[in-house]
Amino acid sequence: MKKLVALRRASQILFLLLFVGILWSTTYPMSGAIPPEIIFKLDPLVMVFLSLCGRVVLPGAVLSLIMIAATLVFGRFFCGWVCPLGTFNDGLSSLRRSKRVPADASNRKIRSVKYGLLAGIAACAIAGFQAAWFFDPLVIFARFVSLNLIPTVTMGLDRLFVTAIQKFELYGGLYDFYRLLKGSILGIRADYFSNAWTILIFFLSVCLPVLLVSRIWCRMLCPLGALYAWASKKSWLERKTGECTGCGACRAECRMGAIRDDGKTVPGECILCMDCVYSCPASITTFGWKKPARVPRPGAAGNQRGMTRSDFLLLLAASASFLGFRSRLGLAQTPPAKAGGTAAVVRPPGALPEKDFLDRCIRCGNCMKVCVTNGLQPVFMESGWEGIWTPQLVPEIGYCEYQCTLCGGVCPTGAIPKLSRAVKQKQVLGIAVIARNLCLPWAEGKSCIVCEEHCPTPDKAIKNEKILLGTSLGRKQYLLRPVVVKELCIGCGICQKVCPLRPSRAIRVDPAGKLQPQ
Amino acid sequence: MEKILYQLESLLRRQISRRRFVAIVLGWLLVLLTDNVFLKRAFAKSEASTGRSPRGLRGEVDLAVAEGLDPYANTVAVVAAMGGMERFVAKGSTVVVKPNMAWDRSPEQAANTDPRVVAALVDLCFKAGAKRVNVFDVTCNDARRSYENSGIEKAAKAQGANVYFADQWNVVKARFSHKSPMEDWPILRDAVVCDTFINVPVMKHHSLTEMTLSMKNLMGVCGGTRGLMHSGIGPKLVDLTQFISPELTVIDATRFLTRNGPTGGNPADVVTLNKVFAATDPTLADAYACSLADKDPMTIPYLAEAAARNFGNWDISKANIKTISV
Repeated sequence: MKKLVALRRASQILFLLLFVGILWSTTYPMSGAIPPEIIFKLDPLVMVFLSLCGRVVLPGAVLSLIMIAATLVFGRFFCGWVCPLGTFNDGLSSLRRSKRVPADASNRKIRSVKYGLLAGIAACAIAGFQAAWFFDPLVIFARFVSLNLIPTVTMGLDRLFVTAIQKFELYGGLYDFYRLLKGSILGIRADYFSNAWTILIFFLSVCLPVLLVSRIWCRMLCPLGALYAWASKKSWLERKTGECTGCGACRAECRMGAIRDDGKTVPGECILCMDCVYSCPASITTFGWKKPARVPRPGAAGNQRGMTRSDFLLLLAASASFLGFRSRLGLAQTPPAKAGGTAAVVRPPGALPEKDFLDRCIRCGNCMKVCVTNGLQPVFMESGWEGIWTPQLVPEIGYCEYQCTLCGGVCPTGAIPKLSRAVKQKQVLGIAVIARNLCLPWAEGKSCIVCEEHCPTPDKAIKNEKILLGTSLGRKQYLLRPVVVKELCIGCGICQKVCPLRPSRAIRVDPAGKLQPQ
Repeated sequence: MEKILYQLESLLRRQISRRRFVAIVLGWLLVLLTDNVFLKRAFAKSEASTGRSPRGLRGEVDLAVAEGLDPYANTVAVVAAMGGMERFVAKGSTVVVKPNMAWDRSPEQAANTDPRVVAALVDLCFKAGAKRVNVFDVTCNDARRSYENSGIEKAAKAQGANVYFADQWNVVKARFSHKSPMEDWPILRDAVVCDTFINVPVMKHHSLTEMTLSMKNLMGVCGGTRGLMHSGIGPKLVDLTQFISPELTVIDATRFLTRNGPTGGNPADVVTLNKVFAATDPTLADAYACSLADKDPMTIPYLAEAAARNFGNWDISKANIKTISV
């Protein structure tokens, strides 16, 4: 009975289910659910480098330091016991037929790549460019779960029920059960996300290589893994081999390639999967605490080196990167004034100015998952290469619900700030523009007031001009023509959503419109 | 036992010829393609519907109106004045109560029916012996938010009603005996397949039709692109009302949204009338609402159309109206 391995597996499955469960419940009304931003608040890669890049201290960033502290003590337990992407990769590699064990030399090359990536991300962050999101494993997995997995599963279940109910006319108990599910876990609709296939392809290209070499992503590329590896190099919990004979049984088993030819552990590579405890024919491999004597104590005799010149220079360089933090400690409750830079797409309500938004958004997909109307969609190339998978409002699919503040509430980084309802209702996403060559009353003289009817501002931003057509049977006949009052319009897009014209709507939200002089 | 295992194994290891493989694939394709046809023949009824036939029920009076501070009591009073719910709801029947809960607004903003009116009706239906009371609406804002913030979901569920989200796939195609602009329009199946239909609109302003009343409220049982209904709305709404033929229309005039309808949002636009009225004739109910709002019924497209077609009674001076003070 491999007790420790069973324990590790249980922990992996538990955290995987928890992860999917948290994202599954990231939907209206969000009451009582575990807030999904906690996943990323516990992610030092995101929190530290975003703080550095934006020269702000993100709220909750301190939480991620707890993970670093825990790694200093326990080593890379996160990678082996918690990380859902790691669990998924372990599951995938169990499908592998032949096991390839790279030689020491190639293992060394493989594992050094991730440190290079981490250094690159750090350099970018110091320069003020946020690259942490691209290779963060939690972001990659969360985006896959929210935008690929959950929509597919809900759509599949929904279709199954609808087909059964319609084909066999089961409008009784089964229909009631389906309605019950719809009102609870299934959600009122299976969400659709445009460009979701690009997200799936990226996810698969991260995961599928484990079919060749186990945990290759974690060993080679994962920058969060690199961060934890670096922190765990002198961890207190360590692998002990006793009087090892160097038979190599553990080396052939090790999923991380963390064991050298001589049976010694490579510092920072072990993820505590516990396999080697049981593969050791002599049963001498154990995990235990380092002897206290080996923990260097500053100030103790023989360790009074103090600060060297190179330490000082490094400290200076590290401090320099914190220049510009100024008074931006803590999150402002009101979004900063819109200045400079506009997106080619409609951003969520209260989103930071475009440049800052791109550097703050980690493309985790929380806002898109939670959006009540399914209107927030992943951008593909519409806002340039650097804008890939950021959220945009696509009013044809869903508008911005006037009373709703959910997207700001689930954003882990404040790219979409948390806003009170009153403040959110004043956020201008864009300005609606009527295409008078298409609009039914303007172009064809037919009556249609659908945009005006749905306009949610208490003083409607779309007003009807009353045009006297003539008199028939002693009564005056009027035509109502919609016009947009720019000062009142917030660009929520419900007008574009409900405009009955196809294929192109006669009213649409122009994201650049908000910057035009009014 | 060993024999069975041997048989099983040989079955699994059996080699099939190419010819047989093609036959199996084609056979399954044939089954997949035809099962729809057979199943439909065997199980499904026609998707088209000519709507509910009017039951010709009449109340003790043509229209009853109650005024008082409690909308619940007002509703109970008008139904009693019409002759009691037993007149409209048979024992063991399925009832649809269709409020207006299309908007993500609070009751005070007066864009939706007052939840207390709906609660009273659900309770009365069950007291009259209804087996099941369904409450739903095809909303304009997000359904979950609208159901919750209108207060109707909670109030109706507390009385035992089935409150659920309308399914756009569960519709019938409307058919009419005359040529109608509503021909083939998708209508919620649940609104058609029921024993009694009670329409419970809120009285409020609307830019195109001047007033949103009972006939306009029936747009909430329509699927499809409802925006297209707005050109030539008069005949469409009268046809729709004929199609549904509600047994009872109860109009909530507790609060009256006078401007910026049908969404509202500004409390200054709301006037408190504290009235609820009921009629079996939707035209009469809507015409009475016009008199409360000081509007000429003939300026309302669907009432003008109803008058032209002689559909119901739009002239309230010819009606037997009972006024109650609660």
